[in-house]
Amino acid sequence: MLFQIFASFFKIGAFTIGGGYAMIPLIKNEVCTKRGWITEDDFLDGLAAAQSAPGPIAVNISIYTGFHAHGYSGMLMAVLGSVLPSLIIIVAIAMLFHQYAEQTMVKRAFSALRPAVVALIAVPLLQMAKKSGLSLKNAWFPLLIAVLVGALNVTPVYLILLTIVYAVWEARK
Amino acid sequence: MIYLQMLITFIKIGLFSFGGGYAILAMIQQEVVLKQAWITEAEFIQVVAISQMTPGPIAINAATFIGFQKGGILGSLLCTFGVILPSVIIMLLITLTYLKLKKQAWFQNIFKRLRLLSLGLIAAALIMILGHAVKDLFSVTIFVLSFIATWRFKLNPFTMLIVSAIAGILFGSA
Repeated sequence: MLFQIFASFFKIGAFTIGGGYAMIPLIKNEVCTKRGWITEDDFLDGLAAAQSAPGPIAVNISIYTGFHAHGYSGMLMAVLGSVLPSLIIIVAIAMLFHQYAEQTMVKRAFSALRPAVVALIAVPLLQMAKKSGLSLKNAWFPLLIAVLVGALNVTPVYLILLTIVYAVWEARK
Repeated sequence: MIYLQMLITFIKIGLFSFGGGYAILAMIQQEVVLKQAWITEAEFIQVVAISQMTPGPIAINAATFIGFQKGGILGSLLCTFGVILPSVIIMLLITLTYLKLKKQAWFQNIFKRLRLLSLGLIAAALIMILGHAVKDLFSVTIFVLSFIATWRFKLNPFTMLIVSAIAGILFGSA
């Protein structure tokens, strides 16, 4: 059981390109349908929590499902499984990248990859904006944060702590 | 000492990024590029491209890559461990209490507000890399084309980056 939890998450981590959001449907299929470790309702509750909690969503959901499947040891196995493939693959790439970074071909590839990365961040930003219920009434808040952090170099940590305090006060009043 | 600082920095990144991979990238930019100056803005953009093109969670990929560049294998282990440590603690607490907490108005409101804040943080990250990444006719063209391909035609990010890399090799400059 414990090894199977590790193997399931390792497989998903090793073969899913595109980050946490791409991993979620595969995790759901594996742990709900294929293995039956957790019910679909429980999984969806966990997914909502994983998106709320800080940190990588894929890691958060593996903590939740691993714990549901087999307590603390299940949680540990799920986390190791979802993180280890990245660790191994990236270390291998980082070792190679060091040798090839100065090659003309690599430099030319990155001259196009740089603007592509900007688009890569801009598109999910717009998608997240649509999903998070952004409206004319509350758009001032992310805009203010963008200006404070992007232009005035305010540390986000203070803004996050202030936001938490404000949110609690706002809900209580 | 640098190892301890890497661990602490990535614990902070893991603790204060809400909304998944892109929010974490925004925090990495704040802490690793702007505050610690461990990598440059251009290297940060490389890290984002590589993290997206390889399997696994983007945040883990980025933490491992930066950790390796800064401190070899030990560095990559420490940064990855750091970025997931807050997740493990907080997610465990949530797993044990979530069903009770999710009905509380103040609890819901915290995450509603933090999601909006994350939008602002990611927008700030975007503003900061824009100047480094989009500066001539070639890069403007690539930006517009890749934006339309992903936004309008739902091209997946991996294919989009591969096509961009090929375009760069053929038409780009070193």
